[in-house]
Amino acid sequence: MKSAYRFVAVVISFVLLGTVAAPPGIAQDQSTQNPPPAQTAPQQDQSQQGQEKADKDKKKKKGGGFFGGLKAVAGSSSEQQEATRTAGSKTVGEGAQIGDAQPTAADRQAVSAMENYSVPAPEIKKFQDDGKLKPKQ
Amino acid sequence: MKKPMLRAGWFWGVRILAVLALLGTARDARAQFGNILKKATEKAQTVQKAMAPMTVQEERDVGREVAAKAVAFFHLYKGDALTRYVNLVGSTVAAQSERQDITYHFAVLDSVDINAFSAPGGYIFITRGALALCEDESELAGVLAHEVGHIAGRHVLKIVERDKAMRAGMDEAKAYTPGSAYMQKMSKGILVKLLDQGLAPGDEFDADQRGIKYAHAAGYPADGLQRFLTKLNQATEQGGQSFWTRTHPPVPDRNARIGQTISAQHWEDTDRPKLADRFAIETKALKEKKA
Repeated sequence: MKSAYRFVAVVISFVLLGTVAAPPGIAQDQSTQNPPPAQTAPQQDQSQQGQEKADKDKKKKKGGGFFGGLKAVAGSSSEQQEATRTAGSKTVGEGAQIGDAQPTAADRQAVSAMENYSVPAPEIKKFQDDGKLKPKQ
Repeated sequence: MKKPMLRAGWFWGVRILAVLALLGTARDARAQFGNILKKATEKAQTVQKAMAPMTVQEERDVGREVAAKAVAFFHLYKGDALTRYVNLVGSTVAAQSERQDITYHFAVLDSVDINAFSAPGGYIFITRGALALCEDESELAGVLAHEVGHIAGRHVLKIVERDKAMRAGMDEAKAYTPGSAYMQKMSKGILVKLLDQGLAPGDEFDADQRGIKYAHAAGYPADGLQRFLTKLNQATEQGGQSFWTRTHPPVPDRNARIGQTISAQHWEDTDRPKLADRFAIETKALKEKKA
């Protein structure tokens, strides 16, 4: 009979362990089946801000900025030393300032105009001939 | 007699309960395993997507956003004749690039700083400050060819592609929309890399080597970039502003490598046209504006 009690105790332990481990899986199932109600705009903003803050903190911990993790992949150690040397006297944040610029509709139109601009091939040929350039064909 | 029967009934009850509990645990375990499998599949798909090279369309979309920010910050130089001239020189060297699956676009930025840079997708910018430093067309060709070299070498693109965090888990439909949060983040990252941090020195040397090759193949003297770099070094020593000297490898190192290649390839093109007169005519308005 003692062995039967032992068996029961073991089973109960398993059941308890299963109950402790099960909730996340079950909760995920439920969340998949029943999506949460749509967030209101302020809630979305808050969660977005929270996410951005978390991202920033993550970046700070990594200590490398937006492309921080790439330098080690991109260059050899000697290249990195050289990069450190050449970047030593840089003005901080010019690229970041440009990156923060908010293009207007006119700016985007200017880029479209840049894309659509092309010099006709005969004009390029004449330009090369005038300059006595002999490009490889 | 009653006592053993009760005990037996209780024992059977416990056994049934135990079996039911085990069945329940097994179902939960199966559900958990299913979730793990689903997550692993999703993760694998995301990684696969992030590892894939960017398409030309994606490259162009990203480059367009970088270009829009550059235009918003500096503004384009208003001079149709000069824009046309820069496009003629640029198209002549770009035609020699190995990469012909994109169209190269050239524009002049209204800035006195001595800079030139390229964005993915074929967008190449040169400032009027850099144009003013050039003495002839072959130097301009050398600078533009260097930028074409960055695009042909996919230098910026490789960085974007390597940054899995930047590419993974994005909703593509929204991601590549002009002005979207994703595009803002990506284009700013590229500009910071280009202008503040600089590309890997190896990529700069590669762009130099490609550039002199394109310039030579286009019919210009191969040393145009070398002559421009020498002047750039002097100009920045005298207070001129350029991220080329801040973020690029030292000019003497670059010029030494360019010289080695020219010598090894026997590209000492003394008889080739530098086109100083044509350059002076085409940039006259620019120099008058400077004065």
